[in-house]
Amino acid sequence: MLEVLDLHHRFGDVLALDGVTLAVGEGELVGLVGRNGAGKTTAMRAIMGILQPDEGTVRWRGDPVGDSERLRFGYMPEERGLYAQMRIGDQVAYFARLHGVERRAATQAATRWLTRLGLGGRAQDLLVTLSHGNQQRVQLAVALAHDPLALVLDEPFAGLDPEAVDSLSEVLREQGADGRSILFSSHQLELVERICRRVVVLDAGQVIAAGTLAELRERFPAQLRVRVGSSTDWASRLDGVTVLRSDEDGVLLLVDPGVDSQAILRAAQKAGPVERFAFESAGLIDLYRQMISR
Amino acid sequence: MSRTRTVRLVAAREITERLRSRTTRLVTVITALLVVGAVTIPGLIKESSKPTRIGLVGPAARALAPTLERGARAAKVEISLTEAPGEAQGRAELRKGELDVLLSLAAPSKTAKVQVEQALSTTIGALISATVEQARLDAVLARAGVPLSKVLPVLAAAPIAVAVLKPAAPHEDARIVAAIAAALLMYLSLTLYGTAVATGVAQEKTSRTAEVLLASVRPGQLLAGKVAGIGLTGLGQLAIAAGAGLIANALSQSAKIPASVWALLPSFLAFFLVGFVLYAFVLAAAGALVSRQEEVQSVLLPVAMPLVLGYLLVFAAVGSPNATWLRVASLLPPLSATLMPARIALGHIAWWELPLDALLMLASILAVARIASRIYARALLHSGPRVGWRVALRLPGHAERGHSGASVT
Repeated sequence: MLEVLDLHHRFGDVLALDGVTLAVGEGELVGLVGRNGAGKTTAMRAIMGILQPDEGTVRWRGDPVGDSERLRFGYMPEERGLYAQMRIGDQVAYFARLHGVERRAATQAATRWLTRLGLGGRAQDLLVTLSHGNQQRVQLAVALAHDPLALVLDEPFAGLDPEAVDSLSEVLREQGADGRSILFSSHQLELVERICRRVVVLDAGQVIAAGTLAELRERFPAQLRVRVGSSTDWASRLDGVTVLRSDEDGVLLLVDPGVDSQAILRAAQKAGPVERFAFESAGLIDLYRQMISR
Repeated sequence: MSRTRTVRLVAAREITERLRSRTTRLVTVITALLVVGAVTIPGLIKESSKPTRIGLVGPAARALAPTLERGARAAKVEISLTEAPGEAQGRAELRKGELDVLLSLAAPSKTAKVQVEQALSTTIGALISATVEQARLDAVLARAGVPLSKVLPVLAAAPIAVAVLKPAAPHEDARIVAAIAAALLMYLSLTLYGTAVATGVAQEKTSRTAEVLLASVRPGQLLAGKVAGIGLTGLGQLAIAAGAGLIANALSQSAKIPASVWALLPSFLAFFLVGFVLYAFVLAAAGALVSRQEEVQSVLLPVAMPLVLGYLLVFAAVGSPNATWLRVASLLPPLSATLMPARIALGHIAWWELPLDALLMLASILAVARIASRIYARALLHSGPRVGWRVALRLPGHAERGHSGASVT
């Protein structure tokens, strides 16, 4: 398990991390979400040892992480960076060797990953001759070629076309199934929802929510869709109920935890014939908006 | 993984990628060709210099031939003598370029007439006038009935004892040329490879490759590997150029460059190595300060100043190789790399100066490497506008994390 315990870090006047604690189990994909400047990149850099946090510990399987443990981590920074004038096969192998892989094994891993990511015939090409999307694939190969135990990926989906998003999702699921601990950040919440079991939400350097989607849903108001003829204002006076929006499909209500849904149904029936009455499972986007707006 | 393995990997990548680049190969070939040219072209010019063709008109002129040839051999000038049937014809040959000089002398007592197309070289002029003078003296004495053999001892120059107070070192000219060439070559190669370090660092920073690298490599290892890789590439290129020069020198047989000058080669390469390491650390730190590739030139300039100064001082050194200020200046590490090899070439160096210089160089390399690595490690991940080195030293660091990891609880 990859554990981050109580990270604090300050850049001058800016408090970037204010006690961040999170954990990624082996075989688990955890999505790190939060607005720009929430501290996601700083937290990931601290995990990778690229930045020395003011306070806090990073542990792997219970022990503090040092240089040798970090060699078994794979990293993809938010701002991608590789040698433009270097052949991609050599490049992937080079980074694998820097992570301690022997020359032959590194070359084989580079070939395997480039082939797996659809760049099999291009190992001799310079990075600069590749399209943006293909350069992203090389960056992913660099993060994976040394067979890491943990993956820290900062915005791995940014700038990918839908096809590449699918193939990256598949690779990540596979890696998770192989028992790796994967932490990745993303602004594409529907993607996080699709591939992650657990989510950690950062805001202003603090973890404001963490858990599975189901766990998060329980902590937040449920969404209820009700259509009562043409009437829309019947719900606005109910306690513990907020009208999220009203449209031709009726009203979408936010129902606080503990409010009796039958009372809402009775109020609706008073307003007119109830044509629809159904809870909708809140997506991560809805939950996220609620968390951030608090 | 051992730290040295990482440094070796970084250095090996620098070397492989540089050898692969067309620019490096081109620079290697051009440098080698320049050195070969410098070694052989003086020889070629000398070989192609033709003897001065002198046409002799009149019996008295023809009689001068043996004396002229003897005189030419003594003066180490090459001449070839032909007999011209008449002055008109000789002048025609002069105009056609078949002759260089036309010497007419009807009788020893008459005035000798020398004709050239454009200019008479001083050596040939002196040779001819001395020869004619001797012939006339000969004729006058013969007419007076005094045999020349009696007069000659009197005419011979009075013996002079010459004492040279400051003997020139052997091959003085070659040494001065070697000193200036060594300084120029050092200045050029340090600038070339130093710029390569700064550019390479700036590239890794601005392309954000540094962040990927730092996930597995410490900044110090990255810096050391880079400096070693580029330094060895430079040393290899210089060694190839020097080897090509040595072979050319041996083959051309012009023997223009004496062995005492070639003996300077190892010390030149050694000074390149220490000078490069000293400058490379500073330039790596400078390269890490930029935010855009285009800014590299402006951070290079202040670092390159002492190199330029050192090169310029060599010209003063040639004039007064024993001056105290020069001895002091050549011991200053930033100037030493260019000045000291030049002074070695000039051959006025005390036995204690080299060990002292080596000590000073190593000490300053250690000090500079420490500070430069700190600036490098801090500035490498700093995005945003260019930072000064003082600011860089205060940036949050990466380098000092211990082996125990990030636990600072």
